[in-house]
Amino acid sequence: MADIFLAPAKVRQKVKNPPEESHVNILCSFCHKPKGLSFQTQKEDEAIILFLRSAFLGANLAWIIMGVILMALPPIVAVFLTNINLGFFNSPEISRFIIVFLLFYYLFIFNYAFLNFLTWFYNVFIVTSERIIEINYSDVVVHDMAETKLSHIEDVRYTQSGFIPSFLNSGNIYIQTPGTEENFEVKGVPKPREITNIIEDLIKK
Amino acid sequence: MGLAIINSISSAALLIKIITLIIIIFYIIFTLIVSTQIKVMTDILYIPHSKPIFKIISTINIVLAILLFLFALVIL
Repeated sequence: MADIFLAPAKVRQKVKNPPEESHVNILCSFCHKPKGLSFQTQKEDEAIILFLRSAFLGANLAWIIMGVILMALPPIVAVFLTNINLGFFNSPEISRFIIVFLLFYYLFIFNYAFLNFLTWFYNVFIVTSERIIEINYSDVVVHDMAETKLSHIEDVRYTQSGFIPSFLNSGNIYIQTPGTEENFEVKGVPKPREITNIIEDLIKK
Repeated sequence: MGLAIINSISSAALLIKIITLIIIIFYIIFTLIVSTQIKVMTDILYIPHSKPIFKIISTINIVLAILLFLFALVIL
Protein backbone atom coordinates (compact mmCIF):
# COMPACT_ATOMS: atom_id res chain seq x y z
CA MET A 1 0.00 0.00 0.00
CA ALA A 2 1.28 3.48 -0.82
CA ASP A 3 2.51 5.81 1.94
CA ILE A 4 -0.21 8.43 1.23
CA PHE A 5 -2.52 6.59 3.69
CA LEU A 6 -0.16 7.01 6.64
CA ALA A 7 -1.01 9.51 9.35
CA PRO A 8 1.02 12.77 9.03
CA ALA A 9 2.68 12.28 12.41
CA LYS A 10 4.03 8.88 11.38
CA VAL A 11 5.39 10.28 8.12
CA ARG A 12 7.28 12.94 10.07
CA GLN A 13 8.68 10.27 12.37
CA LYS A 14 10.05 8.39 9.38
CA VAL A 15 11.93 11.41 8.02
CA LYS A 16 13.50 12.27 11.39
CA ASN A 17 17.00 10.87 12.20
CA PRO A 18 18.14 9.38 8.91
CA PRO A 19 19.97 6.13 9.74
CA GLU A 20 23.06 6.92 7.64
CA GLU A 21 24.26 9.79 9.85
CA SER A 22 25.96 8.94 13.11
CA HIS A 23 26.79 11.02 16.16
CA VAL A 24 30.50 11.49 16.74
CA ASN A 25 31.81 9.69 19.75
CA ILE A 26 34.71 11.78 21.07
CA LEU A 27 36.99 8.69 20.98
CA CYS A 28 35.76 7.22 17.70
CA SER A 29 38.28 6.02 15.13
CA PHE A 30 35.87 5.28 12.33
CA CYS A 31 32.83 7.44 11.77
CA HIS A 32 30.70 7.18 8.65
CA LYS A 33 28.81 10.41 7.80
CA PRO A 34 29.48 12.01 11.20
CA LYS A 35 26.95 14.45 12.56
CA GLY A 36 28.03 17.76 14.09
CA LEU A 37 31.63 17.53 12.93
CA SER A 38 33.22 20.27 10.82
CA PHE A 39 36.59 21.68 9.83
CA GLN A 40 37.90 25.16 9.11
CA THR A 41 38.07 25.06 5.30
CA GLN A 42 34.83 23.14 4.82
CA LYS A 43 32.57 24.52 2.10
CA GLU A 44 28.84 24.97 2.69
CA ASP A 45 27.80 22.23 0.29
CA GLU A 46 30.62 19.87 1.27
CA ALA A 47 29.57 16.86 3.32
CA ILE A 48 31.91 14.79 5.50
CA ILE A 49 31.64 11.15 4.45
CA LEU A 50 34.32 9.56 6.60
CA PHE A 51 36.15 10.61 9.72
CA LEU A 52 39.13 8.42 10.56
CA ARG A 53 41.83 8.11 13.19
CA SER A 54 44.18 5.34 14.24
CA ALA A 55 42.47 2.71 16.38
CA PHE A 56 42.50 3.88 20.02
CA LEU A 57 44.12 0.85 21.61
CA GLY A 58 46.75 0.32 18.91
CA ALA A 59 47.88 3.94 18.96
CA ASN A 60 47.68 4.66 22.68
CA LEU A 61 48.55 1.47 24.51
CA ALA A 62 52.33 2.14 24.53
CA TRP A 63 52.14 5.56 26.22
CA ILE A 64 49.41 4.43 28.64
CA ILE A 65 51.64 1.56 29.85
CA MET A 66 54.62 3.94 29.99
CA GLY A 67 52.58 6.45 32.02
CA VAL A 68 51.48 3.79 34.52
CA ILE A 69 55.09 2.59 34.94
CA LEU A 70 56.32 6.18 35.47
CA MET A 71 53.57 6.80 38.02
CA ALA A 72 54.45 3.64 39.93
CA LEU A 73 58.18 4.40 39.94
CA PRO A 74 58.44 6.93 42.88
CA PRO A 75 56.67 4.69 45.46
CA ILE A 76 58.91 1.76 44.43
CA VAL A 77 62.03 3.93 44.76
CA ALA A 78 60.74 5.24 48.11
CA VAL A 79 60.28 1.70 49.45
CA PHE A 80 63.76 0.80 48.20
CA LEU A 81 65.34 3.86 49.86
CA THR A 82 63.45 3.25 53.12
CA ASN A 83 64.93 -0.25 53.26
CA ILE A 84 68.43 1.14 52.73
CA ASN A 85 67.68 3.74 55.47
CA LEU A 86 69.82 6.66 54.29
CA GLY A 87 70.10 9.48 56.82
CA PHE A 88 70.57 11.91 53.95
CA PHE A 89 66.80 11.95 53.20
CA ASN A 90 65.83 12.82 56.80
CA SER A 91 67.12 16.37 56.33
CA PRO A 92 64.20 18.88 56.13
CA GLU A 93 65.79 20.76 53.19
CA ILE A 94 66.19 17.58 51.14
CA SER A 95 62.62 16.53 52.03
CA ARG A 96 61.29 19.86 50.71
CA PHE A 97 63.21 19.42 47.46
CA ILE A 98 61.85 15.89 47.13
CA ILE A 99 58.26 17.12 47.64
CA VAL A 100 58.68 19.77 44.91
CA PHE A 101 60.41 17.26 42.63
CA LEU A 102 57.61 14.70 43.10
CA LEU A 103 54.88 17.28 42.38
CA PHE A 104 56.74 18.38 39.25
CA TYR A 105 57.30 14.77 38.24
CA TYR A 106 53.59 13.87 38.45
CA LEU A 107 52.59 17.08 36.66
CA PHE A 108 55.06 16.18 33.93
CA ILE A 109 53.53 12.69 33.58
CA PHE A 110 50.07 14.28 33.36
CA ASN A 111 51.34 16.54 30.58
CA TYR A 112 53.04 13.63 28.84
CA ALA A 113 49.77 11.66 28.82
CA PHE A 114 47.74 14.70 27.74
CA LEU A 115 50.07 15.50 24.82
CA ASN A 116 50.11 11.90 23.63
CA PHE A 117 46.34 11.84 23.75
CA LEU A 118 46.16 15.12 21.78
CA THR A 119 48.58 13.74 19.18
CA TRP A 120 46.26 10.79 18.63
CA PHE A 121 43.11 12.92 18.83
CA TYR A 122 44.15 15.48 16.21
CA ASN A 123 45.86 13.12 13.76
CA VAL A 124 42.80 12.66 11.60
CA PHE A 125 41.88 11.77 8.08
CA ILE A 126 38.69 13.15 6.58
CA VAL A 127 36.96 12.10 3.39
CA THR A 128 34.40 14.58 2.13
CA SER A 129 32.13 14.58 -0.90
CA GLU A 130 34.80 16.61 -2.77
CA ARG A 131 38.25 15.84 -1.34
CA ILE A 132 40.35 14.02 1.20
CA ILE A 133 42.06 15.90 4.03
CA GLU A 134 44.82 14.74 6.34
CA ILE A 135 45.53 16.69 9.50
CA ASN A 136 48.83 15.86 11.16
CA TYR A 137 49.49 16.95 14.69
CA SER A 138 52.95 15.56 15.24
CA ASP A 139 54.18 17.82 18.00
CA VAL A 140 53.07 20.57 20.37
CA VAL A 141 54.24 23.24 17.96
CA VAL A 142 53.97 21.34 14.67
CA HIS A 143 50.82 20.63 12.74
CA ASP A 144 50.18 20.44 9.02
CA MET A 145 47.27 19.83 6.72
CA ALA A 146 47.31 18.09 3.33
CA GLU A 147 44.43 17.69 0.93
CA THR A 148 43.61 16.54 -2.57
CA LYS A 149 40.47 16.38 -4.67
CA LEU A 150 38.74 13.04 -5.08
CA SER A 151 39.14 13.38 -8.86
CA HIS A 152 42.94 13.45 -8.38
CA ILE A 153 43.05 10.07 -6.66
CA GLU A 154 44.57 7.39 -8.86
CA ASP A 155 44.58 4.39 -6.61
CA VAL A 156 43.35 3.34 -3.18
CA ARG A 157 44.62 0.21 -1.50
CA TYR A 158 44.97 -1.19 1.99
CA THR A 159 47.23 -3.58 3.83
CA GLN A 160 46.32 -5.65 6.83
CA SER A 161 49.22 -7.71 8.06
CA GLY A 162 50.02 -9.29 11.39
CA PHE A 163 48.05 -11.07 14.07
CA ILE A 164 46.87 -8.04 16.07
CA PRO A 165 45.70 -5.92 13.05
CA SER A 166 43.82 -8.96 11.70
CA PHE A 167 42.27 -9.61 15.12
CA LEU A 168 41.29 -5.94 15.63
CA ASN A 169 40.34 -5.50 11.94
CA SER A 170 42.67 -2.54 11.46
CA GLY A 171 45.18 -1.74 8.74
CA ASN A 172 46.96 0.90 6.68
CA ILE A 173 45.43 2.73 3.74
CA TYR A 174 47.46 4.12 0.85
CA ILE A 175 46.04 6.72 -1.47
CA GLN A 176 48.02 7.46 -4.59
CA THR A 177 47.79 10.79 -6.38
CA PRO A 178 49.29 11.80 -9.72
CA GLY A 179 52.66 13.48 -10.38
CA THR A 180 54.13 15.72 -7.75
CA GLU A 181 51.08 15.69 -5.47
CA GLU A 182 51.52 14.17 -2.07
CA ASN A 183 50.47 10.55 -1.54
CA PHE A 184 48.44 9.79 1.56
CA GLU A 185 49.05 7.10 4.10
CA VAL A 186 46.72 6.45 7.01
CA LYS A 187 48.07 4.01 9.54
CA GLY A 188 46.24 1.68 11.90
CA VAL A 189 42.69 2.63 10.98
CA PRO A 190 39.81 0.27 11.73
CA LYS A 191 37.80 -1.38 8.92
CA PRO A 192 40.34 -0.67 6.12
CA ARG A 193 38.45 -2.69 3.48
CA GLU A 194 35.23 -0.77 4.16
CA ILE A 195 37.10 2.55 3.96
CA THR A 196 38.72 1.56 0.65
CA ASN A 197 35.33 0.59 -0.78
CA ILE A 198 33.74 3.87 0.32
CA ILE A 199 36.55 5.96 -1.22
CA GLU A 200 36.43 3.93 -4.45
CA ASP A 201 32.67 4.46 -4.65
CA LEU A 202 33.16 8.21 -4.17
CA ILE A 203 35.82 8.35 -6.92
CA LYS A 204 33.50 6.55 -9.35
CA LYS A 205 30.64 9.02 -8.76
CA MET B 1 86.63 25.96 57.91
CA GLY B 2 83.24 24.83 59.24
CA LEU B 3 81.69 28.20 58.36
CA ALA B 4 83.04 27.93 54.80
CA ILE B 5 81.42 24.48 54.37
CA ILE B 6 78.07 25.80 55.69
CA ASN B 7 78.34 28.77 53.33
CA SER B 8 79.11 26.57 50.32
CA ILE B 9 76.19 24.21 51.18
CA SER B 10 73.75 27.12 51.55
CA SER B 11 74.94 28.69 48.26
CA ALA B 12 74.57 25.29 46.52
CA ALA B 13 71.04 25.02 47.95
CA LEU B 14 70.27 28.52 46.68
CA LEU B 15 71.60 27.60 43.24
CA ILE B 16 69.46 24.44 43.12
CA LYS B 17 66.44 26.50 44.23
CA ILE B 18 66.99 29.04 41.43
CA ILE B 19 67.47 26.28 38.84
CA THR B 20 64.29 24.53 40.04
CA LEU B 21 62.29 27.76 39.81
CA ILE B 22 63.63 28.47 36.30
CA ILE B 23 62.68 24.93 35.16
CA ILE B 24 59.16 25.42 36.56
CA ILE B 25 58.88 28.80 34.76
CA PHE B 26 59.80 27.05 31.49
CA TYR B 27 57.19 24.44 32.29
CA ILE B 28 54.56 27.17 32.78
CA ILE B 29 55.49 28.64 29.38
CA PHE B 30 55.21 25.16 27.89
CA THR B 31 51.69 24.68 29.31
CA LEU B 32 50.70 28.07 27.85
CA ILE B 33 51.97 26.93 24.42
CA VAL B 34 49.96 23.71 24.76
CA SER B 35 46.87 25.74 25.61
CA THR B 36 47.38 28.00 22.55
CA GLN B 37 47.93 24.99 20.33
CA ILE B 38 44.71 23.39 21.58
CA LYS B 39 42.84 26.59 20.71
CA VAL B 40 44.33 26.49 17.18
CA MET B 41 43.45 22.83 16.71
CA THR B 42 39.89 23.23 17.97
CA ASP B 43 39.49 26.08 15.47
CA ILE B 44 40.82 23.89 12.63
CA LEU B 45 38.75 20.87 13.53
CA TYR B 46 35.46 21.05 15.40
CA ILE B 47 34.61 17.79 17.16
CA PRO B 48 31.50 18.00 19.34
CA HIS B 49 32.17 18.28 23.11
CA SER B 50 35.96 18.26 22.68
CA LYS B 51 36.55 22.02 22.93
CA PRO B 52 35.26 22.58 26.50
CA ILE B 53 36.91 19.38 27.77
CA PHE B 54 40.34 20.31 26.40
CA LYS B 55 39.94 23.89 27.55
CA ILE B 56 39.26 22.72 31.12
CA ILE B 57 42.19 20.26 31.08
CA SER B 58 44.65 22.83 29.67
CA THR B 59 43.47 25.45 32.21
CA ILE B 60 43.93 22.95 35.06
CA ASN B 61 47.40 22.20 33.68
CA ILE B 62 48.36 25.90 33.71
CA VAL B 63 46.88 26.48 37.19
CA LEU B 64 48.72 23.45 38.61
CA ALA B 65 52.01 24.62 37.06
CA ILE B 66 51.58 28.12 38.56
CA LEU B 67 50.64 26.64 41.94
CA LEU B 68 53.73 24.44 41.79
CA PHE B 69 55.88 27.49 41.12
CA LEU B 70 54.37 29.37 44.07
CA PHE B 71 54.70 26.29 46.29
CA ALA B 72 58.35 25.87 45.30
CA LEU B 73 58.98 29.57 45.89
CA VAL B 74 57.58 29.33 49.43
CA ILE B 75 58.82 25.91 50.51
CA LEU B 76 62.36 25.88 49.08
